[in-house]
Amino acid sequence: MTHTLTAESVAYAYESASPVFSQVDAAVRAGEILGIVGPNGSGKSTLLRVMSGLLRPGSGRVTLDGRPLSAFSNVDRARTLAFLPQAVNPAFALSVFEVVCLGRYPHMGAFGALSAHDREVAERCMRHTEIEALETRDFLTLSGGERQRVLLASILAQEPDILLLDEPTAALDIHHQIELFALLARLAEDGYGFAVVTHDLNLAARFCDRLLLLTNWRETPISGTPAEVLTGPRLSEAYAAAIRVDRHPVTDAPLIWAETPAGNGPSAGGDGPPLEGGRS
Amino acid sequence: MTRRGRRFFVALVVAGSIAMVLLSLLTGAEPLSVARAWREWRSGIPMTEAPTLSILVQQRMPRTLAALLVGSGLALVGCAFQAMLRNPLATPYTLGVASAGAFGAWTATVLMAGYGLTRSILGVSSVQVFAFVFAEADVLIVYFLAARKGKVSPTVLLLGGVTMGMLSNSGILLMRYLSDPERLKMMDHWLMGGVDVLGYGPVLTLLIGVAPCMAILLAQMAKFDQLGFGVEIAAGRGINVRLLQTSTFFVGSLMTAVIVSVAGPIGFVGLIVPHAVRSVTGSRHRILMPVSVIAGGGFLCFCDIVARKLLPGETPIGIVTTLLGGPFFLYLLLRRRFTDWGA
Repeated sequence: MTHTLTAESVAYAYESASPVFSQVDAAVRAGEILGIVGPNGSGKSTLLRVMSGLLRPGSGRVTLDGRPLSAFSNVDRARTLAFLPQAVNPAFALSVFEVVCLGRYPHMGAFGALSAHDREVAERCMRHTEIEALETRDFLTLSGGERQRVLLASILAQEPDILLLDEPTAALDIHHQIELFALLARLAEDGYGFAVVTHDLNLAARFCDRLLLLTNWRETPISGTPAEVLTGPRLSEAYAAAIRVDRHPVTDAPLIWAETPAGNGPSAGGDGPPLEGGRS
Repeated sequence: MTRRGRRFFVALVVAGSIAMVLLSLLTGAEPLSVARAWREWRSGIPMTEAPTLSILVQQRMPRTLAALLVGSGLALVGCAFQAMLRNPLATPYTLGVASAGAFGAWTATVLMAGYGLTRSILGVSSVQVFAFVFAEADVLIVYFLAARKGKVSPTVLLLGGVTMGMLSNSGILLMRYLSDPERLKMMDHWLMGGVDVLGYGPVLTLLIGVAPCMAILLAQMAKFDQLGFGVEIAAGRGINVRLLQTSTFFVGSLMTAVIVSVAGPIGFVGLIVPHAVRSVTGSRHRILMPVSVIAGGGFLCFCDIVARKLLPGETPIGIVTTLLGGPFFLYLLLRRRFTDWGA
């Protein structure tokens, strides 16, 4: 069965006077990666929390396969829908295997005993994310890239169909960024649905099937394929910066880069060599 | 730690605690002959004419039961509060419950001396009633400070609890200033805690106040793992974080208030037992909490034995728990890597 998570004209406000967003439609479908992009403070993480059921929308509704999310019990919701927050700060030490097994919570009995099946699922998720070698390591001693893969294994162990990830590549180097997105793409081919908040527009352009661009002043975000959303004028308006979009010479995906603001650097001030391809 | 090693440790804790219980029954001002008690039991004579049996049943058993309930209760609340506050320094007294209870006990003493407060209220000693009421008042004040807009802030719980503790302590100083020297000694003894209870009344109070709360906390074991790992990730896995925090706070505080009102503010058990157990079993609460319950009960029985034997007469048990527990805790700090506690 394929699942769809849908947000229909949802609004959310921490302070009633200043809504974070007020008219957002979004859909996360099985087999697809939806990228949520936009400047700081545009409500990307808030939207992800609303779609995960952690925050109730002020108006509009979020539905899972047509049924309002609020009609699910917390545990039923967690069996279909997994959420990975931006920061995880464990208060106590746990081994990698224990962290992955934490993901089995929505399937456990009352006292949290792990069945043989739970262990099998945890081991399978560790193979998927290629962290078997870390099994007995202390989670707190891992590098940023290793941690992120362990956390991904841990929410995969929930056996969800739809995963909502908040900036999973924020702390990763360029190698681990591409590895993680390639892994998400493989998992999407296996039938998982993803919504990923990211600041990296080039990765979003390359790996996401559809994008949602939130801005600080438009009521409705811009949505569509990466080619439709990632245009120079749209991004320049959204980020209030001079942003240019070219074609990636190899992948042909949109290639996004920002010009140096006027008065702040060599290309605008004219006392350095003009950047290749830049407007002078 | 391997599974086998962990099983061995659990077996050791269980065996050690049972040994402490038996030793506690046999230890006291008078040596106790099991054979004679057994003969008295078999002969069927009334308790009043069976001196050995009556010491065992009327004195040693209630005292040992009280030590078990107090020790296991404090250790469990320690585990639960460390998980709820996501802070390895948390103890059952972090939120000011013990200081408020002590302040209540002092207030009752001063009121009994000069203002006509009766010795007991509805069959329970006034000191206990005041200690309990003050402790619960502290709990409510701290909660309303920390609960805002559908969220409970662990930071405000901590800050509010520490502040309320300091206020209570200055209240205690005021009461001390108002008391006569004879009472000072008596109350100082109370402040150091003790399980030297008389009869089964206090044991029953403890049982009613502690056992259901322990059951509630133990039923949340799997949730504490999630909360300790991360608040938002726990919420994403289907845990009602606010309900878990609120219920843990109230249930744990209620239990602590009952314990403090009966046994006084016995220090350190609620900090050291969870940490000592955690250093061997790891931080999965499914193992940590039940083992801490058993270890806590055994540890306090042991401390009570030492309290009865260390000096002529009785040493207050609070001194023993800290004297024994403090150096051991320093040893743990020395030996452990900092990452073991998430910092």
